[in-house]
Amino acid sequence: MAVRVVKVDREGLAKAAGPLSARAIATGLSITARHFFRNLWGWIVGKPTIATVMYPEEDVVKPPAFRGMPVLVEMDNGKERCVACGLCEWACPVDCISITPDETEDAIERYPQVFDIDMGRCMYCGLCEEACPEEAIVMSDRVEIAAFSRAATLWHKDDLLVPVDRLARRLEYVRRGYER
Amino acid sequence: MAEQQTEENVHELDIDVEPLDMKLGPSHPATHGTVRMNLRLDGETVLNAEVEVGYLHRGFEKECESGLYYQAFPYTDRLNYVSPMINNVGYALACEKLFDVEVPERCQYLRVVASEASRIADHLTCMGACALELGAFTAFLYAVEARESAWDILDAMCGARVTCNYVRIGGLSSDVGPEFAALVDEKLADVARLHKDFEDLLLANPIFRDRMEGTGVLPKEDLIAFGVTGPLLRAAGVPLDLRRVSPYLVYDRLDFDVPVGESGDNMDRFLVRCEEIRQSARLVKQCLADLPEGPVDLDDPRVRLPAKGEVFGRMEQLISQFKLVTEGPRPPVGEVYQAVEGGNGELGFYLVSDGTGKPYKCRARSPSFSNTQAMSPMVEGGMLADVIPTFDMINMIGGECDR
Amino acid sequence: MSDVEEPTVESGAESETPEDPLLRRLREKLGEAVVSTHEFRGDRTAILDRGSLLEACTWLRDDPENAFDLLMDVTAVDYLGRKPRFEVVYHLYSVEKNARLRIKVPLEEDDVKIPSVVPVWIGANWLERETWDLYGIEFEGHPELKRIYLYEEFEGHPLRKDYPKEQRQPLIGPGARNGAATDAESAE
Repeated sequence: MAVRVVKVDREGLAKAAGPLSARAIATGLSITARHFFRNLWGWIVGKPTIATVMYPEEDVVKPPAFRGMPVLVEMDNGKERCVACGLCEWACPVDCISITPDETEDAIERYPQVFDIDMGRCMYCGLCEEACPEEAIVMSDRVEIAAFSRAATLWHKDDLLVPVDRLARRLEYVRRGYER
Repeated sequence: MAEQQTEENVHELDIDVEPLDMKLGPSHPATHGTVRMNLRLDGETVLNAEVEVGYLHRGFEKECESGLYYQAFPYTDRLNYVSPMINNVGYALACEKLFDVEVPERCQYLRVVASEASRIADHLTCMGACALELGAFTAFLYAVEARESAWDILDAMCGARVTCNYVRIGGLSSDVGPEFAALVDEKLADVARLHKDFEDLLLANPIFRDRMEGTGVLPKEDLIAFGVTGPLLRAAGVPLDLRRVSPYLVYDRLDFDVPVGESGDNMDRFLVRCEEIRQSARLVKQCLADLPEGPVDLDDPRVRLPAKGEVFGRMEQLISQFKLVTEGPRPPVGEVYQAVEGGNGELGFYLVSDGTGKPYKCRARSPSFSNTQAMSPMVEGGMLADVIPTFDMINMIGGECDR
Repeated sequence: MSDVEEPTVESGAESETPEDPLLRRLREKLGEAVVSTHEFRGDRTAILDRGSLLEACTWLRDDPENAFDLLMDVTAVDYLGRKPRFEVVYHLYSVEKNARLRIKVPLEEDDVKIPSVVPVWIGANWLERETWDLYGIEFEGHPELKRIYLYEEFEGHPLRKDYPKEQRQPLIGPGARNGAATDAESAE
C-alpha cells in the first residue's frame, strides 16, 4: 500500500536538545530516577518490575512453545514409546543421536536397545521432534546439562526417559499443530 | 600511548615522530564483534586502518552443502544471531523460489511479524552496544531490557529466543496460539516505553552527540561502490529498502515509512535505526490486525511434511514423512538468488541445485561483510576515538560476516 | 556428487532469442563473448567469456541504461567432474533501476585465473579475497590477494568439492602442541 520515504529529523532534534548540558543532565537524572522509583515501588508491593531473575532460586516463565532438551516419552507401562525407526537420527543436523534397534516379544516389537543423545552437541533445534512419526521424542523444558566430564554429557536411554504425564504441557502444544 | 600529539604541535616542537601501529581487537572491550583492526596512528589521527575478519568462520556453506535443505535452518539462525528470524525467512524464501511454491497467507503474515520483531531486536542491540561503548551504560541496560521484550515475542512463536529455527520450506514449524496477539501488544508497549527512555537519555546528551555527529562520513557513491546496503546506505540518503523497492511476502500490503538521512554520519545512522524500530512495531501491529485465518503450512507433499495427525493414522502420509525426512524435498535443477532486507542490509541466499535433496551450493550474501569492508575509508583520516562509534554503527555481526 | 547436470540445460533453447531487453543489449554489445544467456525463476543470467569480463562489467556499470552500480556478491561454484570445473558468479544490482543480473564465468580446472573486477567495483576486494580463500580462484590484478577467513598456513581451499568436510588441519600459533610453541612452554 503506502510506503513513504521520510527524512530523519535532525534540526528538530538539535532544537529540542538545546545548547545547555544542564538540561541534558536533568533529563538523564529524571529518567533514571523514574526507573529507580518504579522498580522500588514494584519491590515494595511485591510485583517486581525488574527484568533480572534470581536463578537458580527462581526460574523464568517458559512459554508453551519452549524448546529445551529432547527427551524420550515413557509410557505408563514404563517402556519407551520409541520404535527405533531412526528418523530423528537422520533428521538431526549435528548427528548427536545414535540408536541401536532391537526386537522384543511385546505388542510393539521394535525398541531402541541403545538411545544416546550427545547433549554437548545437541543444539535444541527440534527437528527430531518434527521428524518423529510416533510422538516418542519431544522437547522438554529442561535445559541444565552441566557436567564435570565430557562423557557425562552423553545421555543414555535411562537418563532420557520422562513419564508421559510430566510432558503433558508439551504434548498438548505439539498436538495443536496436528491438523491443518 | 605516550602524550597526546596532534599534527600541529608536532610541527611546533619539531619532534621527529614515527607513526604508531596499534591493534584494536579481536576482543576489545570497546568493540562488539570479533574483529581486529590494525591501525596506523599519527598521534590520535588514523592514517591507515586495516580490518581483519574471520575469527568466527564456521564453514556455513560447507555445512549446508553436506546436509539436506531443511537441515540448514538451524545454521541460518547462527548467521546474524541478533535477528535470527530474518535469516530463516530469507533462506526459506530462496528455497521456495527454487521449488516455485508460495506459502499460505497466514504464514506470510506471521513471517513478517517474525522478521520485524527480529529487526527490533537487532537495532536495539546495535544502538545499545553503541551507547555502552560510548560510555552510556544505563542506556545500554534499557536497550537490552527492551530487546528482551522483543525476544519474548520470538520466544512465544518458536520456543527459543536466539536459536529460533522457526521457518520451514513451505510453512512454519508451528502456528501461534490465540493468546499471541495480546502478548505482542504488551511486549511492544514495553519496547516503546524503554526505547523512548533510551532515546531521551542519549539524543539530548551533548557528549553522545559530539561523538556521533560528523563522524564516519562516506559519500553515498562510495558506499554504493563498496556494496554497502541497509541502514548505512539509507542514512546517506539512498532510500534502498528491499521491503519498499522489491516487496516480498506481504510488505506491499502494509503501511510503513522508510527513514533516510542526509549527511550519512553516525548520528544519521543512529536516527534511522531509531525510526526503523518504530516502523517495525507498526508493521507487527498491522500484521496481527490483518492476520487471516487458515493453515500456515503448504499442503504439498513435495516440500512440506504432512500434518502430524495424519502421519499417525495413514500409510501414505507415513511414507511421505519417511521420504521427506530421509531424502529431503528435491527441487528442480537450477539456481536462484533471493534477497531479503536484513537488519544490516541485503541478506541474500544463492542456491544451486543439482536435483538432489542436498543444496549443491548454498551461499549467504551477508550485509555485514560488505559493510565492514567500507570501515577503512570511513575511519581513515579521522580520530582514533571516532573508530568506535563508526564501528558500532556498522554493526558488524561476527556470525554473519564470517559465516 | 559426480553426476552434476549442466545448470543451463533447460535454457539452451531460449538462449538463441533472449526475450529480455537487457540480455539482448548485452549480446549485441559483446557479441561472441556472451556464451549464453538464460532466465530461471526470474533471475537473469549471462554466461560470459573470461576475456571480456572487465569490458562487460565496465559497460554494465557505466551505461546509463544499465547502471549496475552495486556489486552484491562474488562467489564461485565447483562443479567437480564437469568441464569447465569452476564458475565464478557475480550478482549485480542497480540502485536506480532496481534491476538484478547474474554473471557467470566458467573456468577450467588447470587455469583458475580471472581478471579482478576491483577496478570497476572497489567493493569486490574482500569478496574476491573470500573466493580465493575458499575456492582458490586467482583474481589477476587484485591489489592484495590473500586469505581472508583462514590463516596463511592453511592448506587447500575448503569449499572445493574434493576437500573433505571432516578434514582437520594442524593447529598453529601459541596454542599449538608442536614446534616453537612447545619450546616456549617448556622454557617457562
